[in-house]
Amino acid sequence: MKHATDAGARSLPSETLLTAVDLHKSFGPTTALAGASMELAAGEVVAIMGPSGSGKSTLLHCAAGIVAPDSGRIVYRGRELSGMSDAARSALRRSEFGFVFQFGQLVPELTCLENVALPLRLDGHRRRAAERRATEWLERLEVTDVAHKRPGEISGGQGQRVAVARSLVTGPRVVFADEPTGALDSLNGERVMTLLTEAARETGAAVVLVTHEPRVAAYSDREIVVRDGRTREMELTGR
Amino acid sequence: MTERSRRRVGVGRWITDLLLGCRLAVSGGREGWTRTVLTAVGVGLGVALLLVSAAIPNMLDARSERTSARSDLRFTQQELPAGDDTLLIVDVGTRYRGEHVYGRMLQPEGPDAPRPPGVTELPGPGEMVVSPSLEKLLTGPDGALLRERLDARIVGTIGDEGLGGALEHAFYLGSDSLDPDHARRIDGFGTPDDSEGLDPVLLMLTVVILAVLLLPVAVFIGAAVRSGSDRRDRRLAALRLVGADGAMTRRIAAGEAAFASVLGLGVGAVCFFAGRQLVELVTVADVTLFAGDIRPTLPLALLIVLAVPAAAVAVTVFALRRVVIEPLGVVRHAAGTRRRLWWRLVPPVLGLALLTPLIGTIDAESGGGNETQIAAGAVLLLIGVAVLLPWLVEAVVGRLSGGAVPWQLATRRLQLSSGTSARVVSGIAVASAGAIALQMLFAGVSADYVEETGQDPERAQFQVWGWSLGGHSETESALRRLRETTGIRDVSGFSTVYAASVAEPAPGGLPAGVDLVVGDCAMLAEFARLESCAAGDVFMSEAAQPVPDAPAPKPGERVVMSDGTATEWTIPAGTRMVAAHPDSPLQDAARLYVTPEALPPDVLRHGRVEFYVNLDPAEPDAVEHLRTTAVKASPYLSVIERVALRENDRFADIRLGLFVGAVLTLLLIGASMLVTTLEQLRERQRLLAVLVAFGTRRSTLTWSVLLQTAVPVVLGLALAIGVGLGLGAVLMSMVDLSVRIDWTSIGQITGVAAGVVLLVTVLSLPVLWRLMRPDGLRTE
Repeated sequence: MKHATDAGARSLPSETLLTAVDLHKSFGPTTALAGASMELAAGEVVAIMGPSGSGKSTLLHCAAGIVAPDSGRIVYRGRELSGMSDAARSALRRSEFGFVFQFGQLVPELTCLENVALPLRLDGHRRRAAERRATEWLERLEVTDVAHKRPGEISGGQGQRVAVARSLVTGPRVVFADEPTGALDSLNGERVMTLLTEAARETGAAVVLVTHEPRVAAYSDREIVVRDGRTREMELTGR
Repeated sequence: MTERSRRRVGVGRWITDLLLGCRLAVSGGREGWTRTVLTAVGVGLGVALLLVSAAIPNMLDARSERTSARSDLRFTQQELPAGDDTLLIVDVGTRYRGEHVYGRMLQPEGPDAPRPPGVTELPGPGEMVVSPSLEKLLTGPDGALLRERLDARIVGTIGDEGLGGALEHAFYLGSDSLDPDHARRIDGFGTPDDSEGLDPVLLMLTVVILAVLLLPVAVFIGAAVRSGSDRRDRRLAALRLVGADGAMTRRIAAGEAAFASVLGLGVGAVCFFAGRQLVELVTVADVTLFAGDIRPTLPLALLIVLAVPAAAVAVTVFALRRVVIEPLGVVRHAAGTRRRLWWRLVPPVLGLALLTPLIGTIDAESGGGNETQIAAGAVLLLIGVAVLLPWLVEAVVGRLSGGAVPWQLATRRLQLSSGTSARVVSGIAVASAGAIALQMLFAGVSADYVEETGQDPERAQFQVWGWSLGGHSETESALRRLRETTGIRDVSGFSTVYAASVAEPAPGGLPAGVDLVVGDCAMLAEFARLESCAAGDVFMSEAAQPVPDAPAPKPGERVVMSDGTATEWTIPAGTRMVAAHPDSPLQDAARLYVTPEALPPDVLRHGRVEFYVNLDPAEPDAVEHLRTTAVKASPYLSVIERVALRENDRFADIRLGLFVGAVLTLLLIGASMLVTTLEQLRERQRLLAVLVAFGTRRSTLTWSVLLQTAVPVVLGLALAIGVGLGLGAVLMSMVDLSVRIDWTSIGQITGVAAGVVLLVTVLSLPVLWRLMRPDGLRTE
């Protein structure tokens, strides 16, 4: 059973990793966020739900420091994101966050192994060490067989699993997943979600999951509903 | 169904598919339009340059017609008697701060005296008519020094028909004191244009230059047509899904390309007509034009209008041969197929086969007639660069691995799809190969077209010479005024007259003759070592290198002055032999150094004067002051810069043409590369945004883009050096020159080419950074 509370009003199970308060964001005349708020605790899986155009992806992008909000505060482990330089936010995303998107995320000219190793290499790891860790993650995500293939040569489900491996390879504290199963059939979608949430729980990473599919949201500990740029929190019980 | 009706259906099908392609080129909202416009801009830039090339014949004709129409030269030995319809004219053209000023002094001899083109009324004494550009200069702050020289009252403006070009500085100055002996008498302006054709070597240079400059344009039009082909292929896949067959998709693609190229023709025409206005704003090496001079010749313009869309369709269909468009996506044949080398060797081998038979057959005296073969051979060799480069890039990048992340991203990208990058670079590689070959040829033949003058500009940088100023005292006075001129460090000068021996020349020899250098002892001592000198003395020096068969008359011989009066004079028997100073400009021939008292009166009235001027390098306007003093001294004086080497005018024109063409081609290449690079970046917008989202540094992506361009550029330039040296060697052998490689020029050419690439990359960075904004992740 689900019940609604005000965003941020509930007590969190453990350390608060990320807090976003009263975010506003417009793209030209279009208002994407109009006072959205959320909190994220370490290790929890939060689903951001809402209809198309409600602002859920924008909320994820703001929370991840990809897009700066017009107003409002985002605090990650005591550091305010809006006060950080672009370079510092990039470094934060590289080392602390992982990302999975719906499509167009794997670099087409790199092999799957090189794609997974890429965040580590960007963080300064040596190629061989990076690829060793990448191989481990490909094994965990059960896609070792496509390691040396390019993204154009593999299926959508395999591509998403490679993307999940890439999001987790740096050992992030938070994985941001924007419609990770949006381009997959239900079977592949389920498989990807299972692997993502299991791997995240094993490593203690929190997951922020943007979806409009209740079936995908069911993998979360709680849901935040975004409508017209505003958030409402739905707490789930019995999971 | 009959064969005929089937054919009609086939033609109808073609038209329908082509029209659908055109519709797709404009539909698809902003995205579709952007793609079409980018292609059209790329094609348009190429078309604009082709139109400029097609306008060259008219451009030369228009300018030549105007300058011939105002010519005051008469090609007849018959003396023209003074009359109501005659005019005395003297060339008083000058230079001002490096720019040529066309000038004539006029004195009508009757009421029907001819008027130069563009002049409605002849200026009176102390008046002048000027070109708009000269008037602007004279009335502006930069013309102060020129105003001192041209201080006559401006009474009119020269019309366009009397000017070489819009920016030409020109004037006609009225006078009433011209000397018929020193001025030219004419009864009309204008001479038929009887310019000679180019000698075969210069013609070969011109042909190769045209090939070198126009081929990159063609290569770039081809590259522009293929921009955005990935998205087009995806769109065509959607059409396959709803029932289009393979042939239909190719026709639809051809329709899209045809539409974009027709739009490109429009863009090119607009760029051409807008751009030609700019020629009225620039003067290159004293050449200025009117915008109206730049009119494409009709046959060439028609050829462009027909050939460009046809080439666009051909290139598109040819490019699609490696692509299978399936209903559920695009399958590239190229993925598993290596590029083949054998057919890529055909054009250069054919080119060599055309050129090698001409080795040793061309010299300046021989007839031409093999320009087509030379042009075809050069073009085929250069096409070799364009077709070999994709193979070379693929072969080399296939072996690259490892390295830092930017290197890995760049090399992997090239391994996956090197065709686009190679195509983008091939234009610059072709231009570089051609430029290297031309540079070798220029360096090789320059000795034949650049002569050593024997002048030593160290001692005197300028020479002032002209008709006699009257006599010795006038020469002395002019010398004094020159010495008092600002910025002149030192002047030496004299009067001179030529004296020919009255004795019959030896059989087969030339008549003996000698130049008399006339001045007082101080003036003569400037040029020769005189131990003692007094009024009435005569001295003689031998030529540093005596000219056989042209002996100088000896002391005691009788000579006749070639001064119009045929005064006879005997070289005094007591003439002393002296040596010219080692740095004297008068060492080239035997000379008589004569004090005026030793000569009959009035001999100097019909002679000439010469002054050698050493300028003060600290005074930047010294030469302007010198010219002003010379004009004030006499309208018959010319100021000439003394140079150690003087280039043949036509050779210099061709060199200038190459320079202007190379600049335009490089601008086109740069602009086209920019368009293609931006198109490539735009296609990767989402991927760039994703990479930035997970923390990729901007510098990493910037370096990867730079390396992705740099690797094909390095390979392209290496290939260009190879082919350029080969072509240069063959061309040099054709004109029987020993092959020499000028590595400095090669360094400069490749440096400029690399600079263009660097500039394009720098210019594309703002767009790259904009595309890196995470906004690219938004899909709504």
